[in-house]
Amino acid sequence: MKIKHTISDNTITISLDGELDASSSVMLDEELSNPSIMMFSKILVDCKNLNYISSAGLGVFISHLQRFEDAQIKLIFFNMQEKVRNVFEILGLDLLMTIVGSYEEAVTIAND
Amino acid sequence: MPKDKRIKRLSFFTGCVSWVLLLVNVLFLARQRHEGEANLAEPYLNNLLSVIFILSVFLYQRYRVHAQRTAEFTAPLQAVLLKGGAGAYLTALLFFGYPSIQEMGTNNVFLLDAFYQVLFGFLVYFLAKAFYTWRQFILYQKTKDLMTQWKWFEILVALSLLVPLLNVEYMKHIFLILDLGLLLAYGLYLSVNLRWVAFLSLDKKWLSIFLLAAILLSIVLFSHFLFQYSDSPELVVDYTDNPFILITLAFVFCYTLSSLLVALFSLPTSRVFEQKNADLLSFQRLTQSIQQGQNEEEVYALLFESVIKASGADAAWLEYGEDAKPSARRHNESAPDPLVQDIKRALAQSGKDKQADWNHIFINNDLRHSSTFKDLQLPFHSLLVMPLASNKRRYGHLYLLREVEQGFDQDTINVVQSFTNQTVLTIENLRLLEESLQNERYKEELKIASLVQDRLIPKTFPTDTWFEISSYSQAAKEVGGDFYDFLQLSESRIAIIIGDVSGKGISAAFHMAQMKGIFHGLMQQDLLPDEFMVQANSALSRCLERTSFITSALYIIDYKMQGVSFARAGHCHTLYYNAMMEDTFYFQTEGLGLGIIRDASYAKRIHRLHYDYNPGDVMVIYTDGIIEARSEDQEEYGEDRLKYMLSQTYHLEAEDIKSAIMNDVTDFTNDTLHDDQTLLVIKFKPRQPNT
Repeated sequence: MKIKHTISDNTITISLDGELDASSSVMLDEELSNPSIMMFSKILVDCKNLNYISSAGLGVFISHLQRFEDAQIKLIFFNMQEKVRNVFEILGLDLLMTIVGSYEEAVTIAND
Repeated sequence: MPKDKRIKRLSFFTGCVSWVLLLVNVLFLARQRHEGEANLAEPYLNNLLSVIFILSVFLYQRYRVHAQRTAEFTAPLQAVLLKGGAGAYLTALLFFGYPSIQEMGTNNVFLLDAFYQVLFGFLVYFLAKAFYTWRQFILYQKTKDLMTQWKWFEILVALSLLVPLLNVEYMKHIFLILDLGLLLAYGLYLSVNLRWVAFLSLDKKWLSIFLLAAILLSIVLFSHFLFQYSDSPELVVDYTDNPFILITLAFVFCYTLSSLLVALFSLPTSRVFEQKNADLLSFQRLTQSIQQGQNEEEVYALLFESVIKASGADAAWLEYGEDAKPSARRHNESAPDPLVQDIKRALAQSGKDKQADWNHIFINNDLRHSSTFKDLQLPFHSLLVMPLASNKRRYGHLYLLREVEQGFDQDTINVVQSFTNQTVLTIENLRLLEESLQNERYKEELKIASLVQDRLIPKTFPTDTWFEISSYSQAAKEVGGDFYDFLQLSESRIAIIIGDVSGKGISAAFHMAQMKGIFHGLMQQDLLPDEFMVQANSALSRCLERTSFITSALYIIDYKMQGVSFARAGHCHTLYYNAMMEDTFYFQTEGLGLGIIRDASYAKRIHRLHYDYNPGDVMVIYTDGIIEARSEDQEEYGEDRLKYMLSQTYHLEAEDIKSAIMNDVTDFTNDTLHDDQTLLVIKFKPRQPNT
């Protein structure tokens, strides 16, 4: 699992590469728990190379969901592979989180 | 051994009888010579009797002296001296203590002969005893060659008895003398087998030297008496003519003398031997300390004690503890605390550049002339610092001080090093042992957890005529996060729940147990599936940690009404086969997992679906471990493949459908399990006429 982030203005784009399993979700949790992330108003998550997400990985996003919402930070997923999206859908997270097709869409929604 | 006993008894008897007869015969002979009267006595008879006597005594001793099994040599030496050599002293006492005997001896032929005969008896007994004791000494830690050599020596010596038996005047036959000389040389050759001396400790060596000297003296006394009268014309029998006596006497003398000399000259080296022996023993104790159940503290104490003994250090201390912190525990011997601090400070100064090399052995054999230690005015001249460390871990340092210069030579360092190495090995083994015991305990507890969890999952569903249920459940680890359960709500209604706790292992297992409790608690109120999910979400919100959530689905089957109503909280879609339409499909309902939203708004996220079933319909409930099962090339099993499997097997009994699906899954994954897997197959049957 590789986690990269690019920053522009008030937006941070986190790209996930590989499998988000029990061990790598700890890394992600550290990333999202970093207080500096609260300085941004938009968090875009690039899921293009995310091949698999385990329940532990979902748990990380779920645990931060409320915090971001309270701080009025937008969390947007994009470029999600079909089978990963399916996992989000089965759990009902697609209605709770913003999942869009492309980066452009994500930027548009973020700027709304 | 009865045979030995019999021989001993017989030889004892013949020995006694032959000696008495010998005495009588000698007296008769003396009388004959003295008075010129012819009587029963015969010189030849005397030879025969003496040979029988000698044979008997030697045979007796041969079986009496036991083989040397332990390195205890002083006791046999004492026996030789007290039982054998004492005869010489007794005779000497009689002889010198009562000078009148001497006079009488010269006057009275009978008395002289009798005295000589008694002396002969003592001598033979002593020789036999010494001869066979020496045999055992020579054969201590024997080799096969040595045994053969000794056997031949014994045979040859015994053969020399033929000389008096055949009444040969051996002095007249040069080749016989030569033979006997060779035999004597052979005896001398055997006398170099003095291995036993090396096994004596210093004290024992001194004692042995004393005993050997006393034995030697008794030999000299015996010979003195034997030869003093041998040429006396009054004497009727002269045993110096008997080569057997001469040879054994010479052999016993040689061996005693060589033993004495070797013991004497090995005295200075015996301390070294003892030291090496002590080192070896300490080493053994160190290696055996694990079996004896000693703890680390005791191992260190053992090392400290052994190393001081081995190196002859005048002062020493041992620092050890977790990675040798400054507060390390310490064994100390005659090294006062300020001195210890001084030395350590000086060491730290001198070794600044070597700080990185923790395993460095520090030796300074001339402290008073070294720049760093000169100012300390130490009462010591040599210092050795030996690290205790393995490749992975550091255990401590051993400091040894000696008052002499050049106190630690390479040999000492090697010995100390092997001790520290062995200690490190022992400590590591001790820790490994502890760890493995701990692991064993954890494993045992996991096994119990696994058993407990197994009991939380029902093995059998109620059997009835309206449905068949078959279940499969397999945890990836000892305990898992999958669960299912049922509750009979009324005569015609049953609630079935399936769930999957996020994460794996113990924490998942705990939440799974919690979920089971919530299910049984809430369903007492006969809630609708969606109501149940709302309440369960609220209950779980209070106890689930932030990153955890649970997916679940609850089905309430009413077989009087032939309907099933259910709610899906983020759980895998329910697979269904409709017998009427001959169609296999997934119920596409919406519903959020439990514990994701932890407030009242969750109620909006969960929905209830009602479906009227037909006899022959099949419902397949499962966890994501099934559809996310992976093949070797990381392909997922998937919903489609599961759907296809049901479309092929719906006509079978529930048990067979389950088996078919699970076989397919295991084939697909090639029997590797990444996640917990649970599968329930419910097949509805026509309502029975009587219900």
